[in-house]
Amino acid sequence: MSQLYDLKILIEKTIEAKGLDAVDTKGKIALKSGRLLAFISPSSPDDPVYADKLKQAIKDVLNVNA
Amino acid sequence: MKWNLIQTKVLATLFACLAAGVCGILILMQYSFARNTQALALEAVTGSQKLFSILEAREISKMTAVSDALLMDTQVRDALAAKDRGRLLELTAPLYTKLKSEGITNWMFHTPAPNMAVLLRLHNPAQFGDKLNRYVDKEVVRTDALVSGNELARAGFAERIIRPVPDAKGGIAGYVEFGEELGQFIHAMKTQTGNDYGLLLSKKFLDRKLWADSSGIWKRRDNWNDNANFVVADKTTASENILRFSGDLSAVPAQGLVLDRYKDGDSYFVRGIFPIHDAAGNTAGAMFVVHDITAVYTAMRQTEKILLLVILVCLLIGTTLVLLLLNKLVFKRLKHIIRIAGRVVGGDFETEIKVSAMDEVGQLEELFEQFRQVFVSTLEQVTGMEEKSERESSHITSAAAD
Repeated sequence: MSQLYDLKILIEKTIEAKGLDAVDTKGKIALKSGRLLAFISPSSPDDPVYADKLKQAIKDVLNVNA
Repeated sequence: MKWNLIQTKVLATLFACLAAGVCGILILMQYSFARNTQALALEAVTGSQKLFSILEAREISKMTAVSDALLMDTQVRDALAAKDRGRLLELTAPLYTKLKSEGITNWMFHTPAPNMAVLLRLHNPAQFGDKLNRYVDKEVVRTDALVSGNELARAGFAERIIRPVPDAKGGIAGYVEFGEELGQFIHAMKTQTGNDYGLLLSKKFLDRKLWADSSGIWKRRDNWNDNANFVVADKTTASENILRFSGDLSAVPAQGLVLDRYKDGDSYFVRGIFPIHDAAGNTAGAMFVVHDITAVYTAMRQTEKILLLVILVCLLIGTTLVLLLLNKLVFKRLKHIIRIAGRVVGGDFETEIKVSAMDEVGQLEELFEQFRQVFVSTLEQVTGMEEKSERESSHITSAAAD
């Protein structure tokens, strides 16, 4: 699996663990990182620049270090 | 508090306006109070000046009437013609006691010109023979008619009338003079107006030694050195603080002058001054007027507090209403658009933005809903193409494996 997909899984697990509204939270992360999470799949190629943006968005919205 | 938010900026602006409004109203009230006190002071000065003139006229009229009655008394006339001081005193002393109780403090008989001198002072019989040589003396000799006016003797200021007394042969037997100390006017004026008064006499018309001597006789403090240019001949208040004037009495304009407002203890006063002229027209003294404005001042302060409270409450209510209105019409709807935007990119393609009103924000809602529909439609197309591509790729891969 790709690094991006791992991050997506982390997001979904954290949302579930914290009982957050999935749509709202994913929307905020997507707006902050600049891409839709729906397009991340297990076959998504690694993209270090986008991965860094996504990690920062996860930190900002979920307060979790990815 | 985030300063980049419109809400914060609007709130800050409203509070700035509120503060500016309150300050403006306070300044306006202070200005209004200053004008009102100025008007009150002017009214006190002009009113007192008129009252003083009325009292002057009334007392001159009274002294003239007394002198008219006296001139009919042939015994007095003959005693004066004979320069019989003892007889004159005997005839007039009982009447002087009565007149004195009515305010006539000075009563004199003078010998005829050219050697005009005091024959008898009813108010001080032991002192006689002196030549006064005042303006009124010269005028009565020159005109042979009644002369009246304020005359500043070297130790005091009195309103006087002086007139010739004809003898049996049609000549002049001498002169009779009545006078009232102006100091007693101020007590009558205080009774009528409630104001406090001070009678100021210009030092240049007074004799220092006589002032000291008269102070001893009248058992008053010698106040010669209290002020540079004038002495306080009489006053209606025990306070030494309120009669303050640093200017020149001769420079006080004829219509009077309003001075400063001041506080003494818990009371507030306005002050003014108007000139008093002697018979020759010189500004020999002035009347200091002190008007108590404590009641007006207290009422004004009370009104100021109430007004301030009302304005503050109104402004606070107004500010709250404006904020509530802005929140309902703008901020809440913008937050809703932002939330929907987040949900769309989060995967919620169903929630629509409803146009709540056809105002500026409503136009943005309409535009954003159109944008959302285009976005969702494009996303569905892209997703469909991606799935198709994956299916085809999977099909090719499995075919190749077969």
